[in-house]
Amino acid sequence: MRQGKIYPYLLIAPALLLITAVTLYPTLFSVYLSLNRSRRGQLEFVGLRNFEIIFNSSDFWQSFRLTAVYGIIFVGLVMIFAFLLALIFSRGLRFGGLYMSIIFIPWMLSEIVSSVMFRWMFLPEIGILQRMLGPVFGDIILLGNSSGAMGIVLSATIWRSVAFAMLLLLAGLQTIPGELTEAASIDGATRWQAFWKVTWPIVLPTTQVTIVFLTIQAINSAGMFLSITNGGPGRATEVLSLYMYREAIVFFNFGYGAALAVILFLVNAVLAVLYIRSLRSQVSYI
Amino acid sequence: MDIASNKIPETPSKTAAKEPGNNFAWGKLEPYIVHVLLILLCLAVLFPIVYTLLASLRPQGFGLSRELISGDGFYFGHYERLLSTPRFLRNIFNSAVNSLGGAVVTTSIAAAAGYAFARLRFRGRGVILTFILGMMLLPGLTNLIPLFKLASDLGILDTYLIMILVYGAYGIPFGIWIMKGFYETIPREMEEAAAVDGATPIQTLLYVIVPISLPGLVSVFMINFVYNWNDFLTALILLSSTSMKTATVGLFDFQNQLTGNNNELLNAAAILIMIPGIIIFLFARKAFLQGMVEGAVKG
Repeated sequence: MRQGKIYPYLLIAPALLLITAVTLYPTLFSVYLSLNRSRRGQLEFVGLRNFEIIFNSSDFWQSFRLTAVYGIIFVGLVMIFAFLLALIFSRGLRFGGLYMSIIFIPWMLSEIVSSVMFRWMFLPEIGILQRMLGPVFGDIILLGNSSGAMGIVLSATIWRSVAFAMLLLLAGLQTIPGELTEAASIDGATRWQAFWKVTWPIVLPTTQVTIVFLTIQAINSAGMFLSITNGGPGRATEVLSLYMYREAIVFFNFGYGAALAVILFLVNAVLAVLYIRSLRSQVSYI
Repeated sequence: MDIASNKIPETPSKTAAKEPGNNFAWGKLEPYIVHVLLILLCLAVLFPIVYTLLASLRPQGFGLSRELISGDGFYFGHYERLLSTPRFLRNIFNSAVNSLGGAVVTTSIAAAAGYAFARLRFRGRGVILTFILGMMLLPGLTNLIPLFKLASDLGILDTYLIMILVYGAYGIPFGIWIMKGFYETIPREMEEAAAVDGATPIQTLLYVIVPISLPGLVSVFMINFVYNWNDFLTALILLSSTSMKTATVGLFDFQNQLTGNNNELLNAAAILIMIPGIIIFLFARKAFLQGMVEGAVKG
């Protein structure tokens, strides 16, 4: 087939230009910003001072701890629910498509729409879940309580994310040929043994991919925290991504906010590398 | 892979009954138990949406009575009020412009680039593809601060232009990935035949490849439209004036400014904003589910 030498580059040029302008250049720019501080709207070069302040700030470590606690619970619970569902769906059942569509609906909602729904359910005095659960935890207002507020954000984000994690795991499970589990059962393996000896080793890479994916999501969940608790009560739910948003956008500390963005970016980049590695190690049996 | 279809390969339950360690009664009951659990799960998943919907269909302040449904039947006043509020309609209009614009940009750019990666051999192909796909994994969040600063320096903060460019760019890596996969399923003879007939490469792409690839293009377009429509944080940061804000940002402001017992109106707004995404998803369920899996795991 005839093709000019520059033809392929012409086709990819718009994509490269736009990605460079909107993703790559801002990323590099944030490194530059992070070495400056803003004073009266002017940038002033301060070297690594922002990072020094960040690592000595108790606010940062408090947000760091909250992010870790949130991330571990979020990823853990989503994985458990998603894995159970994926196992159920992978065996095939009637109305499977219908169930899956329903479970997917929360993923198709905006973060702010989910937030309105969860705040409404937990509204003091009126909200149905506040009325049901408040007394269980000793008559507290859940939205106004540190652990309660974190729990509400967790329930909302888990509600949104289970379906997507399940879909990723299901894709992994479906790479296992039915004959493999059948052969195991003919050889006298119980279903439990078949799961651990046949299914688990094959889905392990997909599981890793899903965990990394969810971790990236957990670290960058500013939107849900902002819209449900706005970091409150006090700073009880001010996770790192929200801390960054506040410093830069609300308080106009661009340098400081950008330094936080660089830290978050590095964490994400490490996770992205892990993600690509686990993708590469995925076993294909087909 | 056919995850999305209703016909997930059947593993007949009779093999389950024969398995050692399962007695006969359990094997027969099991499918029913699974369905009962799934129905309960679906009800739990739908609960927040239904609870919000019911609240939006009752008069203002009714919530204080703690009853879910008013004795006088459904009340549509909140919806009538929203649909006649210029500010709300303006927000919806802005959302539509930004989401459509972003999806058009993504789809057209990804259609061209995806073709180059699927079919053409050129220097740097592997490196460039890895770079673009790597960008997909970096969440937009850490970019928002420099983007805000850059857009404000360029004077394009708070415009349709910046939103369409940013949304357009965010969708590109995913779009390229989906389109590349789609093009690879098209037999090469199509292009060879066109070349024999004397078509230039660009004519081949526009008049032969694009029409066959319509299903792929449509699913890239729809998925991106819904993601843009639902976006909240990017719009919150890059838009500031009331007349430019999108529906999701408007909803956020409304939630923060809420005074007294106006929850019913807020809930009605949330329901209205949710509708386009849900409808597109339910209509194009298969394209969505398959597209999302391919975007995430087919490395």
